[in-house]
Amino acid sequence: MNPQILAIILSVAMFVIVLILLRFYFLPEKYAVIWLLAAIVAIVLSVFPGVLSSIAAFFGISQPINLLFVAGFFVVLLMLMQLSLELARTREELRKTVQSIAADMEKASNDDD
Amino acid sequence: MKTLIAIPAFNEEASIGAVLANLASHHPLEHVIVIDDGSRDSTSDIAHAAGVRVIRHAINLGVGGAMGSAFKFAARNGYEALVQLDADGQHRPEFLSTLLDGIGRSDIVIGSRFAAGGGFRSTWARRNVQRVIAWTVSAYTRTRLTDVTSGFRVSGPNAILLFSEHYPVEYLGDTVESLVLASRQGLTISEVPVIMNERAGGLPSQSIFRATLYTGRILLILVLAAFRSAPPSVTAMQKRVKRESA
Repeated sequence: MNPQILAIILSVAMFVIVLILLRFYFLPEKYAVIWLLAAIVAIVLSVFPGVLSSIAAFFGISQPINLLFVAGFFVVLLMLMQLSLELARTREELRKTVQSIAADMEKASNDDD
Repeated sequence: MKTLIAIPAFNEEASIGAVLANLASHHPLEHVIVIDDGSRDSTSDIAHAAGVRVIRHAINLGVGGAMGSAFKFAARNGYEALVQLDADGQHRPEFLSTLLDGIGRSDIVIGSRFAAGGGFRSTWARRNVQRVIAWTVSAYTRTRLTDVTSGFRVSGPNAILLFSEHYPVEYLGDTVESLVLASRQGLTISEVPVIMNERAGGLPSQSIFRATLYTGRILLILVLAAFRSAPPSVTAMQKRVKRESA
């Protein structure tokens, strides 16, 4: 079997998964753009592998697959970093919220006495 | 008609006092609620002192999140209409009765700056951005609308029920997405012309570049809104309503 077919199936599957997650409100708009973009790039590269080869040639990389590994790894790292920042912000907001609820509950229990 | 005026406010201590004082002669202040969306200034203190109800968010959730709280409050307290009013004095309370007159004829009434009779001067870029967005939303809702990003609007009982379950939270998209959501749930929307004051801050669509970015984001939100099913909370609400009426 031509390995290109597997690549196309996987990238289309990724695109469909993103659409399904969006449709049922699991994925918010904020992250929709980056995931749709990633899925579309994957589809383009799997359908037209020549694009990858030309870009690799431009950067002087003899094996196009290495460009895919380097670029893919870099993008994944960036997305991980974004996730860390987002998690840190969410923790901070959770802390603020819990502290604020705790303060209100203390106030309410004092008012009862 | 039991009417609630909801004012989302984030760091608006400079203008909130004047807005409430101006509002007092048009609407009883015990039926006004300020949603302090995590301000770090004295917004909620000023609102408290003016004698209105105040909801205070521990963190900043954005206008969509603030309006979500307002709609939940309205639904819980049996209000039949909710008017959204800006905290920066852009919306004039003398048009409240004009807006409220439209409820009964439709579920949501928007105060439009661009409808015939409304007065608003703005830059070329801003006018065209508004035109593209309004045209798209009009196509969705099958109603001719001219000012879909206007926050000055009133929601009737059906809209309050819907929005108390789900109000879009996306920054700057809440006004537009809420209309698409409402019209897909079978609610009707209409417009009345109003005159607005220039706002202090200004829309983030003044340069051509930012206008394009802003339009692109709103159009993306619209495409997503059309493609999405009803939010899970809204589906659950419809089932509940159907059960109760059966």
